[in-house]
Amino acid sequence: MPCGTGLVSRRIFPKLTAKGGLRETKEWLNAALNDLSRAGVDYADARYLDRESESITVRNEQVAGLSRKDDCGFGIRVLYKGSWGFAASARPTEADVTATAGRALEVAKASYLTQRQPVKLDESPPHVGRYRTRFEVDPFAVSLDRKLELLFAALKILRQDKGIAVAEGAMSFYRTEKLFLSTEGAEVTQSILESGAGIEATAIEGGDVQRRSYPTSMGGDFAAHGYEFVESLKLVENAERMREEALALLAAEPCPAGNRDLIIDSSQLVLQVHESCGHPTELDRALGTEISYAGGSFLTPDKVGKFRYGSKIVDIFGDATIPGSIGSFGYDDEGVAAQRFPIIEEGVFVGYLTSRETAPILGRQSSGAMRAESWNHIPLIRMININLEPGEEQLTLDDLIADTKEGILVSTNKAWAIDDLRLNFQFGCEIAWEIKHGKRVRMLKNPVYTGITPQFWGSCDAICDRSEWRVWGLPNCGKGEPPQTMHVAHGVAPARFRNVEVGVKK
Amino acid sequence: MIGEQRILEVLRRVVGRSPADGTELVYMGGRSDLTRYTKSAIHQNVSEEDTRVYVRVAEGKRLGVVTVNTLEEEALVRTATRALELARHPPENPFFKVFPRPAGYERTQTYFEATAKFAPAARAETMKRIFAQAERLGLEVAGAFSTGEGEVAVLNSNGVAAYQPLTQAGITIVPVSKEGMSRSSAFSHDVSSIDFERVAAKALERCTLNRNQQEMPLGQYDVILEPRCLAEVMMWLSFIAFGSNSFIEGTSFLAGKLGERSMGENVTIYDSVREPEAQGLPFDFQGSPKQRVTLIEHGINRGVVFDSISANQAKARPTGHAGLPGSPYGAIPWNLCLGPGDSSVEEMIASCQRGLLVSNFHYVNGFLDPKKALMTGMTRYGTFFIEGGKIKHAVKNLRWTESMLRALSNVQAIAREREVITDEAVSFAVMPAVYIKDFTFTGVQKE
Repeated sequence: MPCGTGLVSRRIFPKLTAKGGLRETKEWLNAALNDLSRAGVDYADARYLDRESESITVRNEQVAGLSRKDDCGFGIRVLYKGSWGFAASARPTEADVTATAGRALEVAKASYLTQRQPVKLDESPPHVGRYRTRFEVDPFAVSLDRKLELLFAALKILRQDKGIAVAEGAMSFYRTEKLFLSTEGAEVTQSILESGAGIEATAIEGGDVQRRSYPTSMGGDFAAHGYEFVESLKLVENAERMREEALALLAAEPCPAGNRDLIIDSSQLVLQVHESCGHPTELDRALGTEISYAGGSFLTPDKVGKFRYGSKIVDIFGDATIPGSIGSFGYDDEGVAAQRFPIIEEGVFVGYLTSRETAPILGRQSSGAMRAESWNHIPLIRMININLEPGEEQLTLDDLIADTKEGILVSTNKAWAIDDLRLNFQFGCEIAWEIKHGKRVRMLKNPVYTGITPQFWGSCDAICDRSEWRVWGLPNCGKGEPPQTMHVAHGVAPARFRNVEVGVKK
Repeated sequence: MIGEQRILEVLRRVVGRSPADGTELVYMGGRSDLTRYTKSAIHQNVSEEDTRVYVRVAEGKRLGVVTVNTLEEEALVRTATRALELARHPPENPFFKVFPRPAGYERTQTYFEATAKFAPAARAETMKRIFAQAERLGLEVAGAFSTGEGEVAVLNSNGVAAYQPLTQAGITIVPVSKEGMSRSSAFSHDVSSIDFERVAAKALERCTLNRNQQEMPLGQYDVILEPRCLAEVMMWLSFIAFGSNSFIEGTSFLAGKLGERSMGENVTIYDSVREPEAQGLPFDFQGSPKQRVTLIEHGINRGVVFDSISANQAKARPTGHAGLPGSPYGAIPWNLCLGPGDSSVEEMIASCQRGLLVSNFHYVNGFLDPKKALMTGMTRYGTFFIEGGKIKHAVKNLRWTESMLRALSNVQAIAREREVITDEAVSFAVMPAVYIKDFTFTGVQKE
């Protein structure tokens, strides 16, 4: 079957079961799984993936990066006498499928040489099903001229003042077709489309560099929608504000250090949730399988149901079922159906993101959070949509500011850092405003805040209501060895935290 | 492994059949295996074979890139047509002239048969011995052990034809006790040159020291930073300071400041693929020979790295540091080296009246204030208080926030021995340990 030629990747979901091509590959993969069963493996699964992506970066007057990528291949995962092996190949031919299955078994047998405790999978039922993203405008059918026109129109506004040294805009699109098969009889096909875009302005004066990004930093916002999502971001309409704020930051006072009440808007709170709620609730981290790389977690299994993670208004859910989010899917990469489940309830830690291997350790079933970046990676426990639930009382961001006597409002992440147990964090933001007597009184630059995760979430005394709640897509969450980048998302509304350490202690 | 002759033959035929004015192909392919372990047992074990070809075409001064994972000739010719279709849309790039012409390069020694043949069972047997070594001390081991072989080739319509085979073997050993962890690692293109027992012994000895951790007051301390700490800092400097984009755009601390001092006289930073400790890919992803580039010389800003396009923009000479086609990041140094000194970690500890020995940094971020190279991060895998020239006790992990320009202006001593630090075959850092005065700690890891 040809792979990565641009022909296969244009197929969409209904053709996955068409004659030839994928049908042949599916037969070979099923035959390989049958051979592995006959060879006495406990379990095996096969994933075939075909992804088309497009990335455009424009900087000042130039196209700094313009590329399309086709990526296609398959991976076979084997559980042999309770030990894992995985092998993957970019060549989906019958001979390669057979050879790759043999290699996966050889690798599993090597793992078995050091086994101390055999892996046992949970009883999650094997699914036969399909899932596809709903969208209006296929971004791969939109002309490149139209995309470039939009980005350059936004950049033209950003560059209208010479103080802006760098104006940048970017768009990315991904179409992923996936097939999952297992020796338990699972057969799942999924077609997922993702789109995202953003702009940023960098102002430089002497030794001062200030940046404003819209709708957020690190490439912008992403959703499981078509090109209509990019147009809905209104990059052009927001460019002038970004330009003016970047320039104004050069003249702004530095954010003063000290303990302050802090309002975090949703473009920054999304990363706070990601780093201090999402990662520490990955059960593989808590069990030590990431301890030599990404790190462990302070949320150890003995704390489930007992540990006060945050204040009573803090409710955090894992939810892979939100339509249009890049943290959503029909089935995870173990074939487990997407779910919504509590992680923090009324401030108490109650659950993890889990897999079929790890959930039984807690006497539970998988929460459906095993995800692999591509065909050549094994699935790991990854974030899905990890959402801070909105407040129940009516409360807009303006209401929250009006309710704050003295404080700092911060927006848009600039720098992020957190320790290996996800306790001590420090975030830098692009912009802040001082609040006095319920009003924004002045802009501040270089805001930094720091804290200890449970103390910080324990100080949360207000969360804005659903009208301010928004799901942000992050397409660049890193984890694992070899490193994998995952598309995840978080629903958040602005929130207030009391007595937070702002600035850097000297 | 497909082999030089076959890869270059296919690429040559594709370039010959490409409809574009100019065509450039980058091939990367091979097998990469990785074994991960925790609690002295393997929990992940993977093997991957991939073939990737970047097809970049030029029509006049317009460029388009399409990447596919096949080496099939017909598919690549179709891909060149798609790239040409892409190239017809963007505005002209005034800084692109033509794809580079052949400039010759000397092969580096990066391929070893012993590594290519190292099987999953051999990795497992190696780990069994290390697990047993740890068990004798009552410790468990986590980490990863990777081996692999691959090929990189670049061929263009102006006659460039470059090829380099590579193997890589890298091991990380993280002993774990109830009280603390440590880490040591080794990398070589030749797996037979790694003394696994010695790497493990170093990590195990350090882990036995990392107990009874005490919380230290925040503030400034003299620090002895072991090589991996510097490697993380250098990785950030390569993005925020030593690459072509940050220099041209003016966000780098070197922008407009060449010839000025930004670090201490004893600090020399350069990019090189031919070091006594390690060799790297001898050409960049345009097939141009990688030059040794001095970035900081005795504390003075000397330059940054360029590819052919960014060099034209900066009116400089290319240095052979092109990234992968289509990348928006410009030229980046992948093989940063800090010049060695004449000290050792033992001598540094003996000379330190009050300070901290830091084994590793964790989660460094360098975006706080790039002009000052202001960074923050945590210590990890063992931080120790030194008093009166001796290690007194382990301390809890600390957060630091510091300008690297300030820190690297306060270097008191540099070790003569350097370590190769990498997670892959193509990029690495060669770093010694350094003694820095008055390094700023701003937080502590605690619940």
